[in-house]
Amino acid sequence: MLALLAAVALPALYWDQGPATAGTVKQAGIERLYVPAGEQAAWKTAGFDAQGFDAARFVKVPAPGVRYQMDVASATTVPWIDANGWRFQRKSGGSYYYDAPPGKAMLAAAEAYANGVEAMIHADAKDLPAFGRMLAFLRGIDGQTLPALANFGVIDNGSAQMGEVMNLVARRNLLFEVVRKADPKYDINVQIGPESPANPSQFAALIRQKLTDEKRLVRIFGSDVVLVRLNGDGTRVRVHLINYSGRKVEGLRVRLRGEYPTSALATFDANGALEDYSAADGATEFTVPSIDVYAAVDLRK
Amino acid sequence: MKRRTFLQAAAATPAAFAAEVRDPLPKYRIVTRYQPATPPGMPGIFPGTVARVHAEKAIDANTEKVDVATVREMMTRGMRALTGDADTRDSWARFFTPADVVGIKLNCSGAPGTASTPEVIAEIVRNLGIVGVKPEQIWLYERFQNQVDTMHYDRYLPAGVHIWTAEHDRGSIQSYDPNTYVEVTFFGEDDTRSNVSRPVSEQFTKIINVPNMKDHGAAGVTGCLKNIAYGSFSNVARSHSGPKSNTYSFIGTLATVEPVRSRTVLNVMDGLRGVWHGGPFSPNRKFRFYPKQMMFGTDPVAMDRLLLDVIDDKRKAENAISVWDRSMDNVKAGDGYDNNPSINRFIREPGHIEYASKLGLGVYDINKIQQRKIEL
Repeated sequence: MLALLAAVALPALYWDQGPATAGTVKQAGIERLYVPAGEQAAWKTAGFDAQGFDAARFVKVPAPGVRYQMDVASATTVPWIDANGWRFQRKSGGSYYYDAPPGKAMLAAAEAYANGVEAMIHADAKDLPAFGRMLAFLRGIDGQTLPALANFGVIDNGSAQMGEVMNLVARRNLLFEVVRKADPKYDINVQIGPESPANPSQFAALIRQKLTDEKRLVRIFGSDVVLVRLNGDGTRVRVHLINYSGRKVEGLRVRLRGEYPTSALATFDANGALEDYSAADGATEFTVPSIDVYAAVDLRK
Repeated sequence: MKRRTFLQAAAATPAAFAAEVRDPLPKYRIVTRYQPATPPGMPGIFPGTVARVHAEKAIDANTEKVDVATVREMMTRGMRALTGDADTRDSWARFFTPADVVGIKLNCSGAPGTASTPEVIAEIVRNLGIVGVKPEQIWLYERFQNQVDTMHYDRYLPAGVHIWTAEHDRGSIQSYDPNTYVEVTFFGEDDTRSNVSRPVSEQFTKIINVPNMKDHGAAGVTGCLKNIAYGSFSNVARSHSGPKSNTYSFIGTLATVEPVRSRTVLNVMDGLRGVWHGGPFSPNRKFRFYPKQMMFGTDPVAMDRLLLDVIDDKRKAENAISVWDRSMDNVKAGDGYDNNPSINRFIREPGHIEYASKLGLGVYDINKIQQRKIEL
């Protein structure tokens, strides 16, 4: 079933180590890649689906990850997550470029895939085998595209303040869609007005309060470093779980609105089946035993 | 639970700290499939009764060497005094049968300085053995592996006794029961659930709670209630932020959750060592003291009510501010609290014990608590 849901563009590798490294790339199972202009022909001769890198076509985004600001006084001990999902939603249909530092290419690929955007990822050479496994994993679960699911609309005025609000609601796993005007399918449509809290964190908290936790499409328990995306239609849902921490998360509890008695789990670089599953009383809950960087859960009514 | 503004009564509270206008209590939602026993373990079959044994020889305050024979005698006399039985075996048999799977709730937050004393735990295990509970049916449990590791309980116990912790990796909820929890929002945190440890709900038939006598920066003191509540559930540290702690209502609420309440049938307060400031941790020996006593009971409120006086009397003797002090002038962020007993990290909430009594967990009124004191 996993292959039937949520087809999106698969991320691609940007590789600038030269055609002499073709064997290494092939060993990682990678056949499609972007290369510096001028190397395209050599890579094609080596048997790759190679395209020249056109920097103007891609928007560079920060490397994803988590920062534990132990030495910074703050109102919360929750770690800072650097995530790009809100950026992708702000500019739909964009193409993105990650210059991923060591250890981050797999997360970048998962983030781009879960958000359904085209992305090219400059991976560190040491990450190539794992990055290749990630691409193979994503290819294995890729399938039909289902629309992204959201709880509320955001009318984006393009301001930095609204950008930070979107960042913080995404960080709280409050799912939104950027809309041009208030969308009647949502109970809540958010825009910045004269009465809005100036502090984006307070604004995000207010959105959660107005929405209420009971109405949230998805909630997670047991981690503050996993972000969620949902795709679905009336009968099927794909739950994307992206772990930004760089460490395995053991035992993540997920709750979704709606009863989905059938499920399948696919986890990158981890094994296991969903545990403590229930679909009753208008909700579905389960535990993902272990998440390395990314897991996808497909649910059916 | 109804949201309300609570004006704490002045009854047993020093007059200077009597009137406290509180914020509305958080709205708690308890989710459990377990039904209460009759009677529930807390306050149990001896509500309002505490057996209290003091023995000067129990521990050497200089070397911290524990006298095993004295500990044995303290436990024997304490359990007999609690139950009124002439035979110690009968005392233990009131609570445990050979069929029971017994969880022993350690307190290791102050480990290795002040934690459930291994010799005390060993004596509890020995007595369980006498009534027929096999070592394989006994589980010492605590939340954090790194704390328990420092205590080396295995060196004191017969083979087969299990030592179990919920979090090998801090923050993981894998070893908690996803279907038994308290849901509450304190400070807008996203993870609003605190789940009970799996063996508490799925495995143990009885629990023995073994707290220490300790000061606590947020709760005022930490005894029976705090140990069984915060020590059996996940994600509880979220109840404090800035100067505010929600221990006032959260501790008692957690302790009422079934099956925790019904299965916790015996409390053995290990007061060989204690902490009079800086608790629940105990890194600083200058704040350690030696009450050299143990309390036995089924009523955690009554025992903790007595503990309040133990800690506050010691703090008074050391010219420290009272556990009842709520002045914001004395609440300071930073490291000062660790070395200065007249600084508070949070507004302390020793009223959590009286609040727990209102939830039916035991007797708070000092005049209604029957103490059976023994001096060895």
